Amino acid sequence: MDILGFLTLSWFDPLLLFLTGAGTLAGIYVGAIPGLSVTMAASILISFTFKWDVNEALALIAGVYMGGVYGGSRTAILLNIPGAPSAIATAIDGYPMAKRGEAGEAIGLTTVMSVFGGFIGILALALFAPFISKFAIMFTSRDYLLLGMIGILLVGTLSGESFAKGAFAGALGVLIGMVGLDPMTAEGRFTFGTITLMGGIPYVVAMIGFFGVAEAFVQIHSLNLPVIKQKIDRIIPHFSDVKRYFWLALRASGIGTIIGALPGTGGDIAALLAYDDAKRITKNPDVPFGEGAKEGLIAPEVANNAAVGGAFVPMLTLGIPGDAVTAVIIGALYIHGLKPGPLLLVETPHLFWFIVGNLALANIFLLIFGLTGIKVFTKIVECPKAILIPLIIILSSVGAYAIQNNPVDIYWMLLFGVIGYFLKTYGFQVGPIILGVILGPMMDSNYRRAMIGARGDIGTFLWDFASHPISLVLSIAFLLMLLSQTPIWPVLKSLISRKTNVSNQ
Amino acid sequence: MPHDRPRRPGEIVFVVLLLLASLWLFWQSVLISGFSGLSTPGVFPMLASGVMVVSALWILRDTAKRAPDGGGISRFLEQVTPLRQAVMLGLVAVYVSVMPWLGFVVASGLFLIATIGFLWRRNFRLTVGISAVALGVIYLIFRVAFQVVLPRGTLFQGLF
Repeated sequence: MDILGFLTLSWFDPLLLFLTGAGTLAGIYVGAIPGLSVTMAASILISFTFKWDVNEALALIAGVYMGGVYGGSRTAILLNIPGAPSAIATAIDGYPMAKRGEAGEAIGLTTVMSVFGGFIGILALALFAPFISKFAIMFTSRDYLLLGMIGILLVGTLSGESFAKGAFAGALGVLIGMVGLDPMTAEGRFTFGTITLMGGIPYVVAMIGFFGVAEAFVQIHSLNLPVIKQKIDRIIPHFSDVKRYFWLALRASGIGTIIGALPGTGGDIAALLAYDDAKRITKNPDVPFGEGAKEGLIAPEVANNAAVGGAFVPMLTLGIPGDAVTAVIIGALYIHGLKPGPLLLVETPHLFWFIVGNLALANIFLLIFGLTGIKVFTKIVECPKAILIPLIIILSSVGAYAIQNNPVDIYWMLLFGVIGYFLKTYGFQVGPIILGVILGPMMDSNYRRAMIGARGDIGTFLWDFASHPISLVLSIAFLLMLLSQTPIWPVLKSLISRKTNVSNQ
Repeated sequence: MPHDRPRRPGEIVFVVLLLLASLWLFWQSVLISGFSGLSTPGVFPMLASGVMVVSALWILRDTAKRAPDGGGISRFLEQVTPLRQAVMLGLVAVYVSVMPWLGFVVASGLFLIATIGFLWRRNFRLTVGISAVALGVIYLIFRVAFQVVLPRGTLFQGLF
């Protein structure tokens, strides 16, 4: 009974209902406008909401997240410009549909299927998180260290130009997270004797700098967006289509949820994998892929919304963000004095069920807003970047300042923005940096705890990784992932194949 | 695959700078607690900056293998820091440095007019109008609805 009460808390509380709805609507627009990203919006929003009640802040952010992941699809379909990275695959078949005059149908189908995927992801969160959480209580410090490293490694390998760039960005983030007084011994790290640095660099400022300001500077390169007008008529999808693609949608939801639940990977990767999967399993599409196949539109959109629920699983059960947005949300939970991890479900079960119910509510709002207001939408999305970019910078400044009313944070933000601009220009991703900032301090303290547990003996420390089942599995996963990215891998592979060839002869 | 695009202008200089910064950060990490133990506060920073040094070397190797872009500093200015970016960066720097003096409202208003005017190049009245509306909306949402404290300037004695 209690669970039901927490689950539906935001459904009956007028303020929470309003905030979730407003968040979802805002998320759709933020996700849709190229140049504004969900991570950007979430990181700016968090700095405003940290004085609020935690439920209110979470309601708004859940709405923005849900809406934002979906919103990218609209510009992908209408303008062939993915509003968010998670909609890159959507544009491949969505835009050809729009060119055929089926933009309305494409948007309608996307909406219904996104909502379907969203619910599967939320269901998975509600069903599996309590189990994983019970299991996670058995995790030791070294397992958290491994999970953190796996998370940074995954996000580093799957995004950006090369693994080395991902590793560099992740390590840079870890170092940014280390600045300030060491939480265990109160020794200063990278403080250079100044008081300003003793409290560390607020990670929200780093996020706003890397995702807001840096992105704004990158966007200046593409100021003049070609505006293509689309005719939109029927939006409510045909029931026969929904029925026909049900199994595909279910399959894509599974992919989305699992990819979302892996630490470090989120909706963008889920969408690309689901698209690829749909392409392989669909033998005879009505329209070839890449020319407006509905399968190619549905699969990525289902998967990226399913990934939202999935991404909350490791965040709430292990305290490890599933993707960049959940990294930001973890930041919000910390600010509110909560500690995401296996004990969150034990100590604050109401919060867990509130989040689940709230995501479901946001998903319902998504259906409502997704099928209405498209005419107004097309007008707003055409807002010139020349107006948008200055606004992003102003909002970022307000956000950076609002965290602790300290003008110095605005300078930090600008510095990170400039560094981020150059990193982006030369093919680095900023996602791993943020993951590093969030996970760095966690990995540091877990490493040291594990080392102290091994009495400072490196042999015992390493042996512990191999002698405990959970640690062993995680260690093997980590090593395999690491090996697959290094030049040793092809050599190993050819060695193995040569051996099997020899034994076959 | 590292070879499918030519080097971007200034890329090799940037990577060398990253390598130097990483080496310096590694040195700073060593200074924290040296090699005195395995669970000291300095170990993890040394590991992280060590990863940075190794990966920067790796990136340097990959970058050096790419076909040089050619064109030197002029190409860099053209592609990486064109006039638009440089002017915008300058305007943002001015904006954040005058904010404590002018206050958020005045500084942002001027910033919006200057930047929209610069990037959009439409008539002045429209620019001012859009800036005023945008600023009004931001003020209403953040100051009035969200109750966020916005920086006030010393010039107007806390009025803005």
